[in-house]
Amino acid sequence: MTGDPQTEMATPRDEATDAPRGGTPVELATSTIRRPPPAHATAPGIRLRGIDAYYGDTHAIKGVDLEYAANQVTAMIGPSGCGKSTLVRCINRMHEEIPGAHAEGEILLDDLDINTPDVDVVAVRRAIGMVFQKPNPFPTMSIFENVAAGLKLAGVKGVDMRERVEQSLIGAGLWDEVKDRLDKPGIGLSGGQQQRLCIARTIAVEPDVILMDEPCSALDPIATLKIEDLIQDLKERYTIVIVTHNMQQAARVADTTAFMLLGELIEHAPTEKIFSNPGDSRTEEYVTGKFG
Amino acid sequence: MTRQHFHDELQQLEAAALGGLDLVVEQLDRVMEALEHRDVELAQFVVVDDDRLDGRYLEVHQGVLSLLALQSPVAGDLRLVAALLHVIKNMERMGDQCVNIAKLIPLAGYEAPVREEVLDRILRMGRAARSETIQAKQSFVMRDVGMAEDLVRQDRDINRLNREVFRMAIEVGTDADTREWAMHMVMVARALERIGDNAVDVGEQTAFVVSGLFREFSDSSTPAKA
Amino acid sequence: MSATALRPVSPRRRRADRIARSVVFAFTAVAVVPLVLILYFLLREGLGAWSSSFFTTDPTGRFLGDPGGIRSAIVGTILMVALAAVMAVPIGVGVALYLVEYGKTGRFAKLVRYFVDVMTGVPSVAFGLFVYIVLVVTKVGGTFAAWKGSLALALLMLPVVTRSAEVVLNLVPNSLREAALALGAPRWKVILRIVLPTALPGIVTGSMLAVARAAGETAPLLFTAAFVLGVNGDLSQRMNSLPLQIFNDVGQAQDRLVQRAWGAALTLVVMVLLLTLIARLIQRRSKLAA
Repeated sequence: MTGDPQTEMATPRDEATDAPRGGTPVELATSTIRRPPPAHATAPGIRLRGIDAYYGDTHAIKGVDLEYAANQVTAMIGPSGCGKSTLVRCINRMHEEIPGAHAEGEILLDDLDINTPDVDVVAVRRAIGMVFQKPNPFPTMSIFENVAAGLKLAGVKGVDMRERVEQSLIGAGLWDEVKDRLDKPGIGLSGGQQQRLCIARTIAVEPDVILMDEPCSALDPIATLKIEDLIQDLKERYTIVIVTHNMQQAARVADTTAFMLLGELIEHAPTEKIFSNPGDSRTEEYVTGKFG
Repeated sequence: MTRQHFHDELQQLEAAALGGLDLVVEQLDRVMEALEHRDVELAQFVVVDDDRLDGRYLEVHQGVLSLLALQSPVAGDLRLVAALLHVIKNMERMGDQCVNIAKLIPLAGYEAPVREEVLDRILRMGRAARSETIQAKQSFVMRDVGMAEDLVRQDRDINRLNREVFRMAIEVGTDADTREWAMHMVMVARALERIGDNAVDVGEQTAFVVSGLFREFSDSSTPAKA
Repeated sequence: MSATALRPVSPRRRRADRIARSVVFAFTAVAVVPLVLILYFLLREGLGAWSSSFFTTDPTGRFLGDPGGIRSAIVGTILMVALAAVMAVPIGVGVALYLVEYGKTGRFAKLVRYFVDVMTGVPSVAFGLFVYIVLVVTKVGGTFAAWKGSLALALLMLPVVTRSAEVVLNLVPNSLREAALALGAPRWKVILRIVLPTALPGIVTGSMLAVARAAGETAPLLFTAAFVLGVNGDLSQRMNSLPLQIFNDVGQAQDRLVQRAWGAALTLVVMVLLLTLIARLIQRRSKLAA
């Protein structure tokens, strides 16, 4: 099956330096087998301490402490308006782009607090990528240019563009489907392909963390499942946070799940526990559908 | 409340499963009466009426599968649904044990020699099994773990009575008819003891639904802690 | 559903329908007929003036004898409007960028928007007078000069460019900006590499329409670029232009001069039409690409 993320994913890494090894597409494609997770985490985790976020005077996030373990998928669930999207947007400091909005508290990436004025917000966003709900490839660019856009916009130099684009498209499970039309417009793809293109664009910059804000909401079920499979592969190289309003998706995809309600973190536990025996009664009510 | 339809269905399913335990009690009452009065026709009725329990099993089983497929229950709902599968299995087994007892009654003979002390213990076992079944059902309905754990205490009585019947059967004497009757009574006692064990299992399911942990209560296979 | 709901259309409704349609058609005709008449007259009166010498010779300024063509007017219009565009479009787009990307709903931005709106309503003669008083009377860089005319035209074009560019920039989906920001691009790069290229077809279209409007304005040029007969290509001197040429010729007694005015008017209309067509083509091509 073309573009099957199960067979197209992992880039072989150099044993000494753990840097990705390059190679021709054939080499990369045929050298993939399901690898066991690396012995040590290759991506850092994120720790949130005392996060308070505001829209003007509205107190949207109230004192959240949360840890995202390295190389794991954490799902954020909760009813509409609970603040899960807002919290995630605080992590890569996109929240402050909204006029009148600001966020306080510590966001520790590898023990460095990135939520301070003396940290370059642009550098933060290169380390923490984001995939949005509605696929948003740049309409004036081709597929190749879209994937390269991240590098160009971030001002990354000295990189073999072709190779990086290819690796990223392979990593996003899209290479086989588009390798013959890299110069065609990015918006000519189907919804699921566009979203994988956005994922390729995000990982081309080689972030440490990938934030996903309801990435499958706008997609059909098959495209959704493809991306869920992709997420399982991606977590070998990145730490992933996924906001979802689809509880079954959280159950399928996430290692741990965090439940939020009215701006507060109610419970954060291994996904299996949340869906078989949650600790807080509010969590139980939400996942069994008694409200929300 | 959202998902009202789903929760209504779940409630109905639970009622159907637990109602099966009521059917078991009915069967138990009939078979004990048949035993006491050597009523072969009543015993035959019990055998035939087991179809109702089997029907109830299939009904709840199908309902559980349907709920799992269509509604994706999680957390407490999921534990409840899993427990119901166990409960109906226990219910079906209890029904089968009643049938086993019923089939032994004509074999024991119409004019069978009766040792009162043995029959007395059998009847006491029957009453204990009945009360265990009712208490098991109650504990599940009320989600009362304490009541469920108390079943172990009652079950010890049945187990003790079972051992006494066994000993008495050994010492019953040399008369062939009496010995044959005593053997049948041992088998009846064994069936009643199994009914008691199944009731304890239902109690374990109650604990599972409430706590999310599956724990074997101390029973005849594991020595009771002091 | 009851059968009464499925009754055929009542005669009263049909009549009301017909009346409404007739009224709308009537209004459309009222609007379209003058336009058609204008075109008809332009063609009838102006085509006769067109000849090869019409486009290749300058007006001679003579009332008797050969009046000459309108070459200097065409050249002048092209030069002055081009200069005006060079001045107005970057600044206009810049203002629009400020309003959409930085100012947004802030108080200063609201003030700017208000002033731009006011400027679109200012009569064109006011721009001409403004430049006249500030630059011509004071004899900054000479008296009448083409570049001063361009300046007046630019002031005229500025609010039009700003407004249309603002509309187009607002049409750029915010999701694109978000995507670019989230990739780790500084804001200026987001604007330069993502927002502007996406909005470019619309901005070009808007600018061309502004240019088309400026090309036909007479009043701003009256007191600034003034009138001259020959082509000199020197923007610091007086320069001819089509509107002024028409203005001068129309009032003359000689028929040939009046006809030259018609020919010039037709030329101007054709030039504006060409610009508008090109603007449309650009828009349609950008839509096809999307």
